[in-house]
Amino acid sequence: MAEPAIFFEEVNERQGVFHRRAFVLGGMAGLGLLALGGRLAQLQLLETARYEKLSASNQFNFKLMPPPRGLIVDRDGVVLASNRPNFRLLVAREKGVDVPGTLKTLAEFVPLDDKRQVHLIRDIDNSPRRTPVEVMEDMSWEQFSAINLRAPELPGVSADMGEVRVYPYGGAFAHVIGYVAKVTKSDITPTGPNSEPIMLNPGFRIGKSGVEKAFDLDLRGSPGAKKVEVDAEGREVREDPQGDIPAITGKEIKLTLDADIQLRAEQVFGDESGAAVMMDCRSGDILCMFSAPSFDANRFVRGLTTAEYRALAEYDHKPLFNKAITATYPPGSTFKTMVALAALDAGYDPATTHVCNKTWFWGGRVWHCDQAHGVQDLRGAIATSCDIYFYQCALWVGPDKIAAMARKFGLGQVFDIGIPGQKPGLVPDTAYKRRTFPKDPVWHPGETPSMGIGQGYTHLNPLQLCVQVSRIANGQRALHPRLIQSIGGVNEKSGSAWGDLDVNKAHLQFVREAMAAVTTGNGTAAAEADLGLGPDIKMAGKTGTAQAVGYHGGTGAHGAVGQWKLRDHAWFICFAPIGNPRYAMSVLVEHGGWGASAAAPRAREIMRVALLKDPEIRAQIEKPLPLPPVPTGPGSGDVVPDLPPTPVDPNSPVGLPQGTPT
Amino acid sequence: MTVSALTRPGERDRLIVKLSEIDWIFCFTLCLIAAAGGVMQFSIAGSSWMPWAAPQMIRFVIFFGLMIGLALVDLRVWFALAYPIYGVGFLLLIAVDLVGHHALGAQRWLQAGPIQIQPSEIMKIGLVLALARFYHGASGKTAQLSWWLLWPAFLILAPVALVAKQPDLGTALLILMTGGVVMILGGLSWKIITAGVLGAIAVIPPAVMFGLHGYQRQRLLTFLNPDADLSGAGYHIQQSKIALGSGGLLGKGYGLGSQSQLNFLPEKQTDFIFSTLAEEFGFVGCVSILLLYAAIIFMALRTAYIAHSHFGRLAAAGVTVTFALYVLINGAMVMGLAPVVGVPMPLLSYGGTVMLTVMVGFGLVLAVRVHRYSEVTSGKGALL
Repeated sequence: MAEPAIFFEEVNERQGVFHRRAFVLGGMAGLGLLALGGRLAQLQLLETARYEKLSASNQFNFKLMPPPRGLIVDRDGVVLASNRPNFRLLVAREKGVDVPGTLKTLAEFVPLDDKRQVHLIRDIDNSPRRTPVEVMEDMSWEQFSAINLRAPELPGVSADMGEVRVYPYGGAFAHVIGYVAKVTKSDITPTGPNSEPIMLNPGFRIGKSGVEKAFDLDLRGSPGAKKVEVDAEGREVREDPQGDIPAITGKEIKLTLDADIQLRAEQVFGDESGAAVMMDCRSGDILCMFSAPSFDANRFVRGLTTAEYRALAEYDHKPLFNKAITATYPPGSTFKTMVALAALDAGYDPATTHVCNKTWFWGGRVWHCDQAHGVQDLRGAIATSCDIYFYQCALWVGPDKIAAMARKFGLGQVFDIGIPGQKPGLVPDTAYKRRTFPKDPVWHPGETPSMGIGQGYTHLNPLQLCVQVSRIANGQRALHPRLIQSIGGVNEKSGSAWGDLDVNKAHLQFVREAMAAVTTGNGTAAAEADLGLGPDIKMAGKTGTAQAVGYHGGTGAHGAVGQWKLRDHAWFICFAPIGNPRYAMSVLVEHGGWGASAAAPRAREIMRVALLKDPEIRAQIEKPLPLPPVPTGPGSGDVVPDLPPTPVDPNSPVGLPQGTPT
Repeated sequence: MTVSALTRPGERDRLIVKLSEIDWIFCFTLCLIAAAGGVMQFSIAGSSWMPWAAPQMIRFVIFFGLMIGLALVDLRVWFALAYPIYGVGFLLLIAVDLVGHHALGAQRWLQAGPIQIQPSEIMKIGLVLALARFYHGASGKTAQLSWWLLWPAFLILAPVALVAKQPDLGTALLILMTGGVVMILGGLSWKIITAGVLGAIAVIPPAVMFGLHGYQRQRLLTFLNPDADLSGAGYHIQQSKIALGSGGLLGKGYGLGSQSQLNFLPEKQTDFIFSTLAEEFGFVGCVSILLLYAAIIFMALRTAYIAHSHFGRLAAAGVTVTFALYVLINGAMVMGLAPVVGVPMPLLSYGGTVMLTVMVGFGLVLAVRVHRYSEVTSGKGALL
């Protein structure tokens, strides 16, 4: 067979080269494939754990769920701040979502006017991608279900059920509890608990004032997470309920406040401005802390409009201010209790008499009293609140001793009651004068009489006056006020665990008796402070009428007349019952006029609620009938007789102790 | 009726004999790979034949028939058509440069009625044929080192330049490397090979910095430092590596690959189909597929080895080189070993163009096998 006319060796040489090189080529291809296999082994066998994690973090997102905020309750467990369900409508910026169009569609189901739409479009454009923005809150169930039904056709739209804070008593506790509000940019810190991603959740609220702010972290709880499968666009594909992390509810905070007493305080203040603080004068628990006028904290949760906020901020009665702790006022005649105690401590004879002729010349000027009280001793001067007596008494003691005594009763002091905003006020002495007025560092004798009647530099807040009167009433302990009873079931330190008061007990007894005289006979508040609870339950007190402006110039207006801003501040400090004090309180009516007519009746009404709520006091008031004699007969010794039922007031809020004759 | 060099030429031309000479194991292996592609495309469409699995499988059946048909075409016909095919491809490349359609910023195809013609694909086969045609007529010495080698160099560089200008750097490099390997197989002097390799090393850095388009340079820099921008340019590679790595030994299970099913994996049905397979079938699945590819390469190279004509050898080897480069480049790309270049995994990836090129190429390989004893005249002895 003839081979083609080609040089044989040529052909064979070419073939040989090809075969050798093809062999090498095959080997290289094999090596390349082997390298791929090696890389696969590295990725899929050695590093698979790492990539599994990355894959899972791609596939699953944890959607943060805000935790239910802890409740705030009063001493009996009455809920003062809780949470209610809230149907929300949310829109998130997503790829390919036409926000204006979506809002137009939504406006068919929920009220969304054009102005609001424009506002929302800006909000949504400014928010990070896929972070939902709240379009509407508190939808009705019909709106909620209508939106939920259509949500799949509306990308970026979701409707969910969140929780919103609710304060069932509106304004009664607004200053103490404060309120929560939306997180603003300035609330978010780079580190710490306020840096957490839950802060960005549209349903999350943080405490902005009062207990809500001070115990925000306790109340906040820990956010839960909802495990959702997402695609590369971040759209939720599927939920995985088994992977959910449940949210932990915030701790419950129990206050020492009593809702009934607090609500009564809110009622009695009406439109007046002022504050009332009541303490249990055995434990130091603050049963009432009310500042008038108040505001509805629920409005803050939603977010106030500018007009609403301005109305609150610009009102001259200052509703946003907690006057019980944040504002200080001259204590007026209530301070005479301190002057008397300081005098007694310095060896003053309480039988010392001074004559009051309504005016008194001393130091080259005329000093006034509101009326001519005649000849009076110390007790009488407290009862009638005679200024001329106390000008002279104060001059006898001197400012430093008065100030030292006042400080023993907590005046000028800030107490740790848990909520911020306390102002210490001022109890002046000669050192203060030296420190503060370098041009006039001397305490002039003429400044002492003013101090003796609670005017001049002296400025105190209602909480301090309540501490003062509760320490007088207690007679033993240096009580501290306590507002937070327990956090998450853990009790806070009791207000009576702070040691004893370093004051002569006989002197305290003297002052208590003098305060009792204030509410009897010719005392300043004899009519106004009558509790009407029978002869056994009486209230002792001390009135105070403090000039708000121009004490030295005398341009102010006495009584409830004249321009409101110029009127006197009305004070009343009191405790009850007299023999066995249980409750002490201070009431301030800002620019209220006379202490006896403006403050004392309000104190009386609030005190009545506290007393009537106290089962022991009730028992004393109601005096159950003595038990009928047990019928005795033969063989009755081993038979337990049926006791007739003790009469029980059906309106009684608490059970009475059974069968204790008084 | 086995065929040998001594079999009567007339006997070898009978259809039944030709059919029996087709490497059916090779064909079966191709079917396995294509089937694996179909299975994956069914999975990532959410267990649906549409939009990818059904068209791909129909296409494969048609192209498989075409491949068998081409396998029966006499090698002398291939030989005679070598330069014409190359010429048509070259003209179309020029045409595409003038009137081609834009896709993603690149001019790659011509629209002829309902058919899209991608001249660079024709060129892949055309160049192999033309080079084989040249070397068939060249003596060993000429192939080693002579001025005549300027002709194959021109055959390679002209289309490479045109394709690179489209710009389709991946295909240009593929053509360049295929041509280079065919020249080496043709017997190129080691001196030239060494000089070429050194030259390439010297030319690459400046070419990268000044000769590349912005996105091409970006891809390359991303490859060199993939962690620099995971959400941007490094995203593709990172997601692909996550898909691969999270597959583990046995994979997440069919239809359960979260990376591909939830669209984290880009181009999951085309360039990154291998990652999808790796995620759902794991290391075992990947190695199985790679072994199938290795078998294809081995069988195709063996066909080149046993061919009697130099044209047949080089043509089969050239097609094999193209195929192997596809597999290696795509594999390296999805595993984060090479920059992202638009090179699909042949037969596995969705897409008709590359499948057509590969199947036509394997038609040529099978033709070489069927006609391994046939005499192809050297020089100008054209059949037609």
